[in-house]
Amino acid sequence: MNKQSNTYTIFYAIIMVVIVAAVLAVVAAWLKPIQQVNIDTEKKSAILGSVSLYNAEEASNDPAGKDAYVDKAYKEFIVDAFLVNSKGERVGDATAAFTVLGELKVAYAAEASKRELPVFISKDKAGKVNYIFPVYGKGLWGPVWGYIALGGDLNTISGVVLDHKGETPGLGAEITAPEFEGQYIGKKIFNNEEFVGVVVTKGAGSSEGNDHAVDAITGGTITCRGVQNMVVGCMSDYVPFIKKTQLK
Amino acid sequence: MENLLSIFVRSIFIDNMVFAFFFGMCSYIAVSKSVKTAMGLGVAVIFVMIVTVPVNYLLNVYVLSPGALAWISPEYASIDLSFLSFILFIAVIASIVQLVEMIVEKFSPSLYNQLGIFLPLIAVNCAILGGSLFMQEREYANIGEATVFALGSGIGWWLAIIGIAAIREKITYSNIPAPLRGVGITFIITGLMGIAFMTFLGIEL
Amino acid sequence: MSNKEKEPFFSAKNMKLLTSPFGANNPVTVQILGICSALAVTAKLKPALVMSLSVMVVCAFANLILSLMRNTIPSRIRIIVQLVVVAALVILVDQFLKAFVYDVSKQLSVFVGLIITNCIIMGRLEAFALNNKPWPSFLDGIGNGIGYGIILVVLGFFRELLGAGTIWGYKVIPEAVYDFGYENNGLMLLPPMALISVGIIIWIHRSRDKSLIEK
Repeated sequence: MNKQSNTYTIFYAIIMVVIVAAVLAVVAAWLKPIQQVNIDTEKKSAILGSVSLYNAEEASNDPAGKDAYVDKAYKEFIVDAFLVNSKGERVGDATAAFTVLGELKVAYAAEASKRELPVFISKDKAGKVNYIFPVYGKGLWGPVWGYIALGGDLNTISGVVLDHKGETPGLGAEITAPEFEGQYIGKKIFNNEEFVGVVVTKGAGSSEGNDHAVDAITGGTITCRGVQNMVVGCMSDYVPFIKKTQLK
Repeated sequence: MENLLSIFVRSIFIDNMVFAFFFGMCSYIAVSKSVKTAMGLGVAVIFVMIVTVPVNYLLNVYVLSPGALAWISPEYASIDLSFLSFILFIAVIASIVQLVEMIVEKFSPSLYNQLGIFLPLIAVNCAILGGSLFMQEREYANIGEATVFALGSGIGWWLAIIGIAAIREKITYSNIPAPLRGVGITFIITGLMGIAFMTFLGIEL
Repeated sequence: MSNKEKEPFFSAKNMKLLTSPFGANNPVTVQILGICSALAVTAKLKPALVMSLSVMVVCAFANLILSLMRNTIPSRIRIIVQLVVVAALVILVDQFLKAFVYDVSKQLSVFVGLIITNCIIMGRLEAFALNNKPWPSFLDGIGNGIGYGIILVVLGFFRELLGAGTIWGYKVIPEAVYDFGYENNGLMLLPPMALISVGIIIWIHRSRDKSLIEK
């Protein structure tokens, strides 16, 4: 058979593409559930982390494995989860809330009045209740996202977990460092009933004494501005729900 | 507009393909012995970059990302083909390089003589594939941003290879320790250039 | 295998294929291939090791598969066939990393994809696998993968030790040393020092093996 002929070349290419596509599709379908577990575990541990109920060391030393540990802790401490609409009404159950978590980008792409966003409620061993709000935004290079936990008064921040996809290491990427995340603890999102959120101010110590600001990271200004827009913008979507719950 | 300018300047100076991500190092080291050849390869990289990144952007938005197939029919919205992105990106790059080679050969033989030998090299230049992969990872909002990013990255790469080629021409007669000659000193100079480029990090855009 | 010469699997010739890339024929420091990904993932030891293993697996199997196919490939689409095989293997590796070492796969991000254009793999396919039997090609792939891995691990070790004072994420430099005024050199973690470190490795390597010195 003539290996240089057009027919041979075309058939060769077609057969190769079919085989490769089949192999890849089978493997992708087979590994998908395992990958999904990893992604879920990461989300659950971040939710627990925002209310300081997740210990990474304990999780990796757990004999049952990290996934099982996180799952157990999640079931134990997260007592409620649901979706809220722009009027602050409950519209979806826990499963729907967790599904939306995987597509926050899509959820926020919707018009403000049509958004349905997830809320998680945790209760630790001492009975202290926290409300956890997932947020999503744009950093310098790609998406940034996080979880903001408010205490029982739905005003004081009790913890924050931030993450990003590809911010500059050592600069913008420092938003995940405890030094930056820790600054949020104790800050307040309402100023006398009026929503203001938490902004980012430039210069070390510049936010001192301000209940509604944290210090930016030197050299990571654009990432920090993204975080600020995310915290203020996304939290404002939850304001109807927060107001409603506070009245109860 | 401001955003586009910011992406442009960042991709040239701050997140330079060579100094910050080491993309395309193999050809960068191999083809930087004279400014003239470096120029040829650099221009070819810019060219291929601004063609492939927008094409791959469209591919990513309309075929690959989760739910991207919804424009054909809502039934397909649940399909996630993102695992195929590597293979499709590289196929697009390889075929576009081939296409560009044929078009240039037909319409501009003089340009072909200058760029021709570099084009096949480019199909396996990591800067090109890296450009497409970063475009996917950074989720640019529209095709304009992706194209500007491609142009900036290409120019950044061109700038780097021209710079190193000029320095290498200058140091031909320098008294370098024997084991460092050639490749060794090229790496160290590139490192020093990288440190120089890091000064751009402070720029606020 | 119908190997008519009855050559033993680990004959001297085959062993040489496996071991020569470790030193005299190292793909990174001598042939200057695969630098692109070598530097970007070496700020920490763990991603460096995962990256080397991934490259080794892809290189070995790409060599094996292409060597099995070598007599059937139409020459006009040779490069595309190679790219498709490599890209398919890389996707498999990427899927496995995402399923079993999720943390590391997040750190490697786009660099796993860049294995496709890693010149070591394409270089070995062109130079070796297309003209040789499967078994030697496989060994050649493993050898080059290990040669590449050695450099990555050395780089990752020193950059993590000097830059962050840790190895594999564990603190190894005792607090007492810091009390004396020692500080981690953060520059080691930044890209330029990766290039300079490779330059120094090449320098050391070529000082020991004078035959490699360029004129």
